[in-house]
Amino acid sequence: MNESTSKKILFNKSSLLSLKAELLKKQEEVNEKKQLPQHKVENFKPAPSKPTVETQNNETSKKSFKENLKAVDTDDLEANRKVKSALEKKAELYEHLKDGAGDSQLAGRFLVDFKSKKEQEKEIQEDHDLNESEQNYQDDENEWIDFTDCLGRTRKCHKSDLDLYMKRDHDLMKVLSKDQDNKNENEESSTSTTAPKTEKPLLVQKTNDYLQSLREKWEQKEQELLAKDKDIHYQDLLFDEARIHGVGYYSFSTDETERRKQMEELMKQRQETLRAQQEAEQVRKKRDALLAARVAAARARQRARAGLPPEEPKENEKDFTTCLLEFLTQQKNEADAKAKEEEKKIREENEKERQKLREAYVREWDLGKEGVEDKVKKFREMTQEEYVEQQRSKRIDEFAPPQTSSSSKSLNTFDEKGRSVSSEKNTPAPRTWSDVRPKAKTPPPPDIGDLSALNEQKGLYFTSSKKPTTVKYKNFVQPQEPVPIENELSDEDDSVQKPKPQKRKSEVEHAEIAPPPTYDYYGPTPKHSRPKKPFESDIREAYAQGAKSLESKGNERQLSKQYDFTFD
Amino acid sequence: MASSEVSINRKIISEDLSNVEFDTSEDVEVIPTFDSMGLRDELLRGIYTYGFEKPSAIQQRSILPIVKGRDVIAQAQSGTGKTATFSISILQSLDTTLRETQVLVLSPTRELATQIQKVILALGDFMNVQCHACIGGTNLGEDIRKLDYGQHVVSGTPGRVFDMIKRRVLRTRSIKMLVLDEADEMLNKGFKEQIYDVYRYLPPATQVVLISATLPHEILEMTSKFMTDPIRILVKRDELTLEGIKQFFVAVEREEWKFDTLCDLYDTLTITQAVIFCNTKRKVDWLTQKMQEANFTVSSMHGDMPQKERDNIMKEFRSGQSRVLITTDVWARGIDVQQVSLVINYDLPNNRELYIHRIGRSGRFGRKGVAINFVKSDDIRILRDIEQYYSTQIDEMPMNVADLI
Repeated sequence: MNESTSKKILFNKSSLLSLKAELLKKQEEVNEKKQLPQHKVENFKPAPSKPTVETQNNETSKKSFKENLKAVDTDDLEANRKVKSALEKKAELYEHLKDGAGDSQLAGRFLVDFKSKKEQEKEIQEDHDLNESEQNYQDDENEWIDFTDCLGRTRKCHKSDLDLYMKRDHDLMKVLSKDQDNKNENEESSTSTTAPKTEKPLLVQKTNDYLQSLREKWEQKEQELLAKDKDIHYQDLLFDEARIHGVGYYSFSTDETERRKQMEELMKQRQETLRAQQEAEQVRKKRDALLAARVAAARARQRARAGLPPEEPKENEKDFTTCLLEFLTQQKNEADAKAKEEEKKIREENEKERQKLREAYVREWDLGKEGVEDKVKKFREMTQEEYVEQQRSKRIDEFAPPQTSSSSKSLNTFDEKGRSVSSEKNTPAPRTWSDVRPKAKTPPPPDIGDLSALNEQKGLYFTSSKKPTTVKYKNFVQPQEPVPIENELSDEDDSVQKPKPQKRKSEVEHAEIAPPPTYDYYGPTPKHSRPKKPFESDIREAYAQGAKSLESKGNERQLSKQYDFTFD
Repeated sequence: MASSEVSINRKIISEDLSNVEFDTSEDVEVIPTFDSMGLRDELLRGIYTYGFEKPSAIQQRSILPIVKGRDVIAQAQSGTGKTATFSISILQSLDTTLRETQVLVLSPTRELATQIQKVILALGDFMNVQCHACIGGTNLGEDIRKLDYGQHVVSGTPGRVFDMIKRRVLRTRSIKMLVLDEADEMLNKGFKEQIYDVYRYLPPATQVVLISATLPHEILEMTSKFMTDPIRILVKRDELTLEGIKQFFVAVEREEWKFDTLCDLYDTLTITQAVIFCNTKRKVDWLTQKMQEANFTVSSMHGDMPQKERDNIMKEFRSGQSRVLITTDVWARGIDVQQVSLVINYDLPNNRELYIHRIGRSGRFGRKGVAINFVKSDDIRILRDIEQYYSTQIDEMPMNVADLI
């Protein structure tokens, strides 16, 4: 009976050892202190008076008690006696319990385990004896000896005790070796974290422990994931994530078969829900129809009672205007649909064309990949003309020769050959995304004018935002227009000449007074117009000739398709 | 001969795009519901169970073009469902009966790649889709085993993915789509070559999808090199900041005062979850240590930590076990933790794009968020520049900042 109630005190063996070590340390300290002059045994007076002091105290207390007794009332005396008797009873009970520990019927009622207490007391007695015997050795300092135990600690003990300690150490080692196998894994993982933990407050340590356990859990989960070749699902990777999912979220099992079962169940329920919804809908429709029929019947009865003819069926109720409206809207809808369809068709066509372009497009990063090479043109040596063309295309327009003369010339030569039209047809311009794309904005025409106006605008205001690119070109053509000096010399009226500069050439030819030689030489009028010149050096003619010769050469070689000769 | 004419082909290649303004394509359809997108039933179920009800603006516009097979450049504000956008499109265009890698998703950080894997698995939970996170810092052997097992989608970081391709473990034969998440980062100097390396192994004319909250002009300029006539869905930069994220600054005179300010704010940090950004790994370590010495519970993460530790910290933060995370820009892009409502820029970010990404860690999918910038007096100029660039408003922090979270 008592056996069952006796509480086992669990303790670690290493803690016992450390306790012992603590004791030894204390003893050592005591010994050290003994060395100090004030603690020297010789100086120490064994205070024989001490017990006498105590007895004296007792006596005085007794005395005072008696004095008090005299002083106090009888009520107090009564209370005191009660207390005393209660205490005596208690003492008696304890005595009884201690004596008949095992058999006592009362034993079960008390929290104190008297049986073990008795045994402990015996042990204490023995220990006390041992201590006493140890104390006997304390005087002879030279008898102490150092030894290293199984845990690597250096310990001190009395020579005579060495055997005993060695034996204990041996036992400990046996126990430890057993324990270590179990603990090894745990300790390795926790040593790094436990060391600083001990200093922290309890709450922090608890949360840390919790985190540690979580980490271990996750680690284990991950190991499981890695261990098997199996499908991985969302649940496997969730790792206690605090995420709010949708209303319909269902946490599947991480076990594959279980998961499959759950999934099937879910599907089945889904089907059932759908079926139930359909049924409910049908029931509702039926009920509505029934209700409508009943209402119609009631109304018919009402009309019959009032002597009115029965109601016509609803379809014929509409009058002419509503019919017309309906017709018109229907027509409109049809037209809309047609327009939409057409639009769609156009878009689809565009899309198709773009798709073709997309298929033909070769990405720069794809060059050289398998199946891409044949699409790409290999390097080809350029002809002189092509090179010139390329260089021209690179040229900034501002540095080009005047547009009007060159383009008209080249156009003419093309016409003469009769080749220009056909050649344009032969080489359709490769179209780009922007050609096919639904056009929204067309780029603004180049703005040619006075640049000084632009400079004024700049000021100090800068923005990082990107502006539409409106580049203003300087007007290079204007200064070529001959205005000045010639007019001074001619007889003609200024007003006639100014608006028609083209006429000027023929008129100048017939000028009666020759301009001064300096101007004649450097002046702006074309020189070829003067037959008096010793040699002909007409730029335009030379240009035309050059173009012709180029043209004849160009006939022989066909330009590659990538060069485009359209003019606009 | 014609002098002003330019050969067309040459025009395409040598065209100077620096002055071209990129706009959202004109023929982009807007589809108002998931139901009307014509998605598979299992995928729809996955979408709804994950918590989406109505598609966001970016989802309404870009899912269909991606599903159709067009190259797409998609930009949208942070936390508006970009990851889900391409995940849904991927899942819709997969053939789950074919057990080979059909889609490759590349992202700049391992955590992001893992997150994308998780989203794809979540949305495709009813489709039986297999998605693998192919990232560095993990066991090579396991990676090989998983890829050999057969994965429909591979979400990874460029380095490991390229390694796997070179080892012929990751077969590219069936890949029909390449997705670059955080595309501007992926095409930046550090990553561009790696992306090129991977791209060279893909079949020619593979569908390419670029996704990011920020797409600077120079990135858009280079897209013609690996994309064919892409559909662009773009956001003007003055619309890039979210209304839901309130931005503040705290002016500090000296660097040392930032720490005290942070300690004062600690109670506010722990209301839900908070992320604190520093510019260097060393500073992260320093700040973490200092906070812990002052008895504040914080966790920290940066790129120099072992991957195992990074994973654990991510899990702790995602599960809500840790509430304050001190980190570097490794955390700036894409990471989605619903409960984060406060971001602190202990140091101001090094560029304007990063600012958008950092503050975008809070205020996920329509939730409220607060961003607090610690600025020294000479930093204020930078902050004003950011404010102006995005046409947003960054006020001095009010006393009742906790009420805004």
